[in-house]
Amino acid sequence: MTARNPQTLMALPNEENFDFLFKIVLIGDCCTGKTSILQRFKTGNYVERHGNTIGVDFSMKTIEVEGKQVKLQIWDTAGQERFRTITQSYYRANNGVIIVYDITKRATFANLQKWIEEVRRYTASNVLIILIGNKCDLESEREVDFEEARQMCQYIPEILFVMETSAKENTNVEDAFRCLATELKRQHDSSNVQALDENTVQLGQSKPLKSCSSSCNLT
Amino acid sequence: MSDVDEIKIDLPPLSFEKCPESDGERNKRIEIEKLIADNPGGSIPLKALQELALGNFGLVNDDLRRVLWPQLAGVDVTNLERVPTLDELQSHPEFHQVLLDVNRSLKRFPPGIPYEQRIALQDQLTVLILRVIKKYPNLRYYQGYHDVAVTFLLVAGEEVAFAIMEQLSTTHFSECMQETMEATQRRLMFIWPIVLFEQPELFHFLQRSSVGTLFALPWYLTWFGHSLNSYKAVVRLYDYFLASPMYTPIFVTAAILLHRANVILQEDCDMASVHCLLSKLPDDLPFEDILVNSSKLYDKYNLTVIEKKVEELIQNEKEQHKLEEERRIKYRRSVSSKSNYNVSKWFLSVLTPKSVMMTTAVSIVVGICAYYYKNQYLAAGIS
Repeated sequence: MTARNPQTLMALPNEENFDFLFKIVLIGDCCTGKTSILQRFKTGNYVERHGNTIGVDFSMKTIEVEGKQVKLQIWDTAGQERFRTITQSYYRANNGVIIVYDITKRATFANLQKWIEEVRRYTASNVLIILIGNKCDLESEREVDFEEARQMCQYIPEILFVMETSAKENTNVEDAFRCLATELKRQHDSSNVQALDENTVQLGQSKPLKSCSSSCNLT
Repeated sequence: MSDVDEIKIDLPPLSFEKCPESDGERNKRIEIEKLIADNPGGSIPLKALQELALGNFGLVNDDLRRVLWPQLAGVDVTNLERVPTLDELQSHPEFHQVLLDVNRSLKRFPPGIPYEQRIALQDQLTVLILRVIKKYPNLRYYQGYHDVAVTFLLVAGEEVAFAIMEQLSTTHFSECMQETMEATQRRLMFIWPIVLFEQPELFHFLQRSSVGTLFALPWYLTWFGHSLNSYKAVVRLYDYFLASPMYTPIFVTAAILLHRANVILQEDCDMASVHCLLSKLPDDLPFEDILVNSSKLYDKYNLTVIEKKVEELIQNEKEQHKLEEERRIKYRRSVSSKSNYNVSKWFLSVLTPKSVMMTTAVSIVVGICAYYYKNQYLAAGIS
């Protein structure tokens, strides 16, 4: 027998239960390791020389945060400029953004400004952003100091934190997602306004007229 | 890190497995070999060649493809251009991007290929791509273009592959190689009218999920080369596309959706689930059937009719967006005017359907009583 919601008697989805669902998008220049980071987080494995991403790929993973099951829906985007107009439409509904640069390629760090502009333009104002400097295993090829990235973050209030990772050596990858998920959950817990989100009235969830907001044109 | 930690599990390797030739394949091979022998010097009539490429098993194997692909693409193999060296092309602005992608294209080379040979082929691939975009500065390289180029390189060699890529880049792929992907995005919407006309239920399900067309983008940009896990299926599809008019991948995409309709309709109707399901092509897709159906769909639906419907769909989408935007603005206003909120809430709670009905009913009863009273008593002079 399928499990049913006791109130609505609707069948519950088959997949594992979760308390929160957050949508995250991974952006950043080509070959900074977005897909590798996501693969490492999702499967625990590392694939040397991943094929490139065309358009967007998508992954899901549920982790436990402060005793709650948090499901992360993660969109992995193509880095090439040409796909920008297409991937932009996937920014909109996101709760979190991870911008990835490559610590061994200065240009990918210099382009962060452009990516932040993009986020500002296409996401909701309360979106949480974290910055990831990937490939920190390649210390000898480093072109961007961590201190420099930290300083930059101080000037960009939207960025929660910056972290250096290595998808190859599995450094900080899980932590980065975990920290972001924790912050998303806290943001959700602390703001009641969020609960009154504009999506409150949803299909299949009819509401009595009483609780309708003042936009009903009766006065 | 230990080696164990780097198991390459997630990426399914491209299978180059050579299956034993089936009876059908053998007959077709003999038929094609005879045709080649009867028409020396590439003089097989194009129509006959196209029919072979479209029909069951396509051109069967890579030896035949090596001979027939250039003919199908309309390329003159007797007049090929000199191949420049990699050094000559290094100054091209797209050089680094192409190099990055080519270096990551390991999946597309046969496993066990000697290292030196693979490196040589990858260099040839870089040169091949850069030659085309250097010769046609109006054409822009996109990630995925190398997936197409590598297929021709492996089958036909670098000189012929260049001639074929040149031909295709100025025809089939020219739209994808524009400055932006807008035209391609619009072209992908051509899937919807076909699905709508064939299976309205599936169309409405997909629209409701708001999945969009992005799942099909790599299919369209690479003629499925990026997304399939079987080399045999990739080259079979290339036979078909080389012999087909432009936009045929749209019809193959629609045919795949229609073929998978039952599975799709069972999925949760949300963007993430549906995108996830659609973007992963199952390994057991019966491509011969799908291609037959795709050709039928192509004959059945006129591109102009499809285009007109697409315009309608885009218009509807725009209106939907506008409505949503208005709803959002209204909502924000309602939240910001909290002072009015309580009054109107009270007002609304008074005006529940029940109370309104009761008030109306009582008024009518009182009215009737008054009328009756007036007629019966007042008119009779009783006071």
